[in-house]
Amino acid sequence: MTPETMHDGMRAALAAEALGALDGEERTLLHAHLAACPACRAELAELRASVGTLAYAAPPAAMDPARSGRVRARLLARAAADRDSEEGVTSDSTLVAPAPLRSLPPVDDGDDVTRVIPITAAPPRRGPSRLPWLAAAASLLLLLGTAAYAMTLRGRVMTQAAWMSAADEQQNRLERALREREATLAAVSAPAVRVIDMASTGRTEPGGRMFWDPRTDRWTFFAHDLPAVRDGREYQLWLITPGSRKIPAGTFRPGARGQAHVEATFALPADSLQAVAVTEEPTGGLPQPSGPIVIAGGMSSR
Amino acid sequence: VDDAELLRRMAAGDEAALGALYDRWSPLVHSVVMRVVNDGDDAEELVEETFWQAWRQAGRYDASRGGISGWLVVMARSRALDRVRLRGWQRASAAESMDGASAPEPVIDAGGPLDAAEMDETRRIVRAALERLPAEQRETVEMAYFRGMSQTEIAAATGQPLGTVKTRARLALQKLREALSVLREEPA
Repeated sequence: MTPETMHDGMRAALAAEALGALDGEERTLLHAHLAACPACRAELAELRASVGTLAYAAPPAAMDPARSGRVRARLLARAAADRDSEEGVTSDSTLVAPAPLRSLPPVDDGDDVTRVIPITAAPPRRGPSRLPWLAAAASLLLLLGTAAYAMTLRGRVMTQAAWMSAADEQQNRLERALREREATLAAVSAPAVRVIDMASTGRTEPGGRMFWDPRTDRWTFFAHDLPAVRDGREYQLWLITPGSRKIPAGTFRPGARGQAHVEATFALPADSLQAVAVTEEPTGGLPQPSGPIVIAGGMSSR
Repeated sequence: VDDAELLRRMAAGDEAALGALYDRWSPLVHSVVMRVVNDGDDAEELVEETFWQAWRQAGRYDASRGGISGWLVVMARSRALDRVRLRGWQRASAAESMDGASAPEPVIDAGGPLDAAEMDETRRIVRAALERLPAEQRETVEMAYFRGMSQTEIAAATGQPLGTVKTRARLALQKLREALSVLREEPA
């Protein structure tokens, strides 16, 4: 093959490479060619730019605002903790005091209106990750199923990358779980936290307890023994003001044993809560309660 | 504040800049990962991990390699495809085709009205360009980009020779490039 025909052949593969679809020996050959061919490198960069705009072809899928607010709050808390730990490491002082437990910082969107993160059930934690095993299985299948050639470099790199990615995800998940626990602990143990006990109005004995820290606007809610809800129904949490205004504070479904744990950031003046209640409503909740109260409780005097 | 400035602030440890970047780009990132994994819980995790990676790597971002939204999308798509591959689930394969005829109307609620309008405009141009492609070219691009299929897998799935798959990919990207040149002439 002359250098010219080699170049033409490689050029024909650039689009597939830009799409990440080139595989096998061809990919190895192309990368060797790219190292020596600035024209192909430039064209590949152009093609990649076109591929980049394909992101806009995904049907717009707006994130549920509660989810999005939760992700945003977690990210900011992780970033703040990360920055603090980096500063700790690079500090000149010989001893650095451990960082205090941190509750999630209020979301600051840059204007005066308090940002509300609707209360929703915390997403169920998944069990121990099976990803490493899946990765091992996937890589085994890969090794068995591909021809001898593909078994070499690319298979190994992919397997390693999969392992790395699985380990990375596992670590991030654990870090996130730990940070959530820390935030919860801080939210129920702060000095100014108010506690609202909630009791059942029905025959079974569900109960709940709300921890509200007016200084940080942090709400932490635990419930137990809630009856299971039918399909299409959820529990909805309400904050009730002295004027009987009922503020919807998110929906949730109880766990297998009727337990629930909801966290939220919501600003409410310190004297403007009369009670907290949970009703059963259609999935997604309603602006005003329609179902019977399952548990409710008033402010305890302090 | 432009993206590059946000990234500089992130590299300096300003988490509010991360929040601003998130507000601006999470709708796009979420749309892409949802298209790939087709699962709200997975998408939530992937969006978080993408922006976390952006925070960790903000100082190493190389502006010469392309725009920041492109960088975010590359990270997000790669994670999403890993997720689908690793789980061995083909849940995404049944998802609707890329023209998204049955997709809900755009509800982009972050980044301010200007950003949302720009995003809608970009979306309109990209979709129009894709719609003008012959179906087999569009399908080739979709299989590679959103399902992470290799050319060999696409050839097997479509019953076409490898050379045809390559040609379709090339023609599709060429036409996209022409159609999208209008976008790249404008400042990002």
